[in-house]
Amino acid sequence: MQNLKEHAKPGEYSTLELMAVCGARAIKNGEVVFVGTGLPMVAAMLAKRLHAPKAKIVYEAGFIDSNAIDIALSIADSRLEYRSSAAIGLIETLGILLQGGRVDVGFVGAAQIDEYGNINTTYIGDFESPKVRLPGSGGGNDIVSSAKRIVIVMKHEKRKTVKKLDYMTSPGHLGGPDGRKNAGLKGGGPALVVTNLCQMDFDEKTKRIRLKTVHPGISVETVLENTGFNLIVPEHVPETEPPTYEELEILRSVDPTGIYIPRST
Amino acid sequence: MEGEVEDKRITLEEAVKLVPDGAHLFWGGFGFQRPPMAFAHELVRQGKRNLTIYTCGSEIDIDILAGARVVSKFELAFFAIEGIGLAPNIQRRIRDGSVQIEDYTNLAMALRFLGGALGVPFMPIKSMLGTDLVTRSKFKPNKVKVIECPFTGEKVALVPSVNPDFSIVHVSRVDREGNAQIDGIKGEDSEGARAGKKTIVLAEEIVDTEFIRSNPDLTVIPNIYVTYVVECPWGSYPMMVYNYYDYDMEHIRMYYQQCKTEEGWQKYCEEYITGVENHMEFLKKIGLERLLKLKARKPLGY
Repeated sequence: MQNLKEHAKPGEYSTLELMAVCGARAIKNGEVVFVGTGLPMVAAMLAKRLHAPKAKIVYEAGFIDSNAIDIALSIADSRLEYRSSAAIGLIETLGILLQGGRVDVGFVGAAQIDEYGNINTTYIGDFESPKVRLPGSGGGNDIVSSAKRIVIVMKHEKRKTVKKLDYMTSPGHLGGPDGRKNAGLKGGGPALVVTNLCQMDFDEKTKRIRLKTVHPGISVETVLENTGFNLIVPEHVPETEPPTYEELEILRSVDPTGIYIPRST
Repeated sequence: MEGEVEDKRITLEEAVKLVPDGAHLFWGGFGFQRPPMAFAHELVRQGKRNLTIYTCGSEIDIDILAGARVVSKFELAFFAIEGIGLAPNIQRRIRDGSVQIEDYTNLAMALRFLGGALGVPFMPIKSMLGTDLVTRSKFKPNKVKVIECPFTGEKVALVPSVNPDFSIVHVSRVDREGNAQIDGIKGEDSEGARAGKKTIVLAEEIVDTEFIRSNPDLTVIPNIYVTYVVECPWGSYPMMVYNYYDYDMEHIRMYYQQCKTEEGWQKYCEEYITGVENHMEFLKKIGLERLLKLKARKPLGY
């Protein structure tokens, strides 16, 4: 039996499991957390069962301080109601909680991001005759506009990390350090990007995206080969801390059938 | 002495007949929760055309309406078959130019309904600022305006209120006067039901007025806002109604796979919508055994 606090070795966990653990670690105890379905939901549930039992998870459909025990497929899934403190509606969650400045961290996905963390989830290709019409903002723009900080979770590909977005659905740091303030936005904007290759954050002065850690087995070169925008690479880029056995054990109990995080072993 | 109870009950067929071609509808339910599926099917059966739908985020329900060419315009924030993929019919109808979508955010749409309900012409919002949601529009010349707040000077976006011809909502239970209760999340239905010029409430069950009036704090939509009431059990199938039934993922996945092609969609539509006479016949086709397996378990509610 391994020590639960020890780090798992390569091959003992999958990339998606590592990403979920990275997401969970971005949540602090006691924070109000706004998540959607998919990997962020699993990350938030993991955080709550580990280091952040007092975190309060909010889902935009109206579930407040949810304690769901089953994995939900829809943002409005009845499964999210389990032991919630309240089940209200969108004006409450997106309006009063989020726009009112009461949400600490929000998780969103992205089809494309640029080097200021601006996000596209609406059109791929030209606006007038797009190649693909994606689902759109949903509550994404509301979350990215008003949460105190944002964690973006996405697949790392050259065509998804672009110099110019096909369409800006949600505001990152817009054109730089004063972009959000000048636009009248309330929240702090993107703070962390978790991909299948690395974690990225944003330079404090320029608000441009910066490599933070590379996942075990991934080189800085591999990250750069798969990145379409200019990425700031510090002199020393540490390796992402691998999951501990405890994190993996709880993660696998959160999503036991592997709906969002397929079992690696 | 209590006055006589007003009876607003009509059938699903009668309710849909009230909606003329070209009408504007608030469309209730959120994600997989309480979409007016049976109403969507009946709109298709009656061959309605050129409707405009206002909603936050919807799924198979509006994908069917796009597929059957019932709706030509949507103002919304999100459409997909969550957890599975993009909405197949809407994708095809956008490509062939028969459907147009004007994009907002979920909060923006919810506030547009609240604005309509409150009787004010617009609502201020701190979302969308700095993005293409403000600068790009498909068909609305006045989609969003950004102004400086006259009191603080800060930038704020204004979105136009909506008062659709009809609001269509599917709820847990209602009495014949139209007092409605919604178990679980309300999404944007509280505001949407109050924004319509006429509101049609469909419900899993009709309850006695005494049941409502002995717990008035549970009423989400009071009768004053409600024009018609339709009894419509399993009215959100294959999606879910909290405390009543779970979604049928097998059916939803089948829909998604089959509707990837136009031929597949036509076959689905014929088999499950136009080929059955009404909602009851649709439920018979799904079958009692299958429906009973989806019945909500207590105390989970799903």
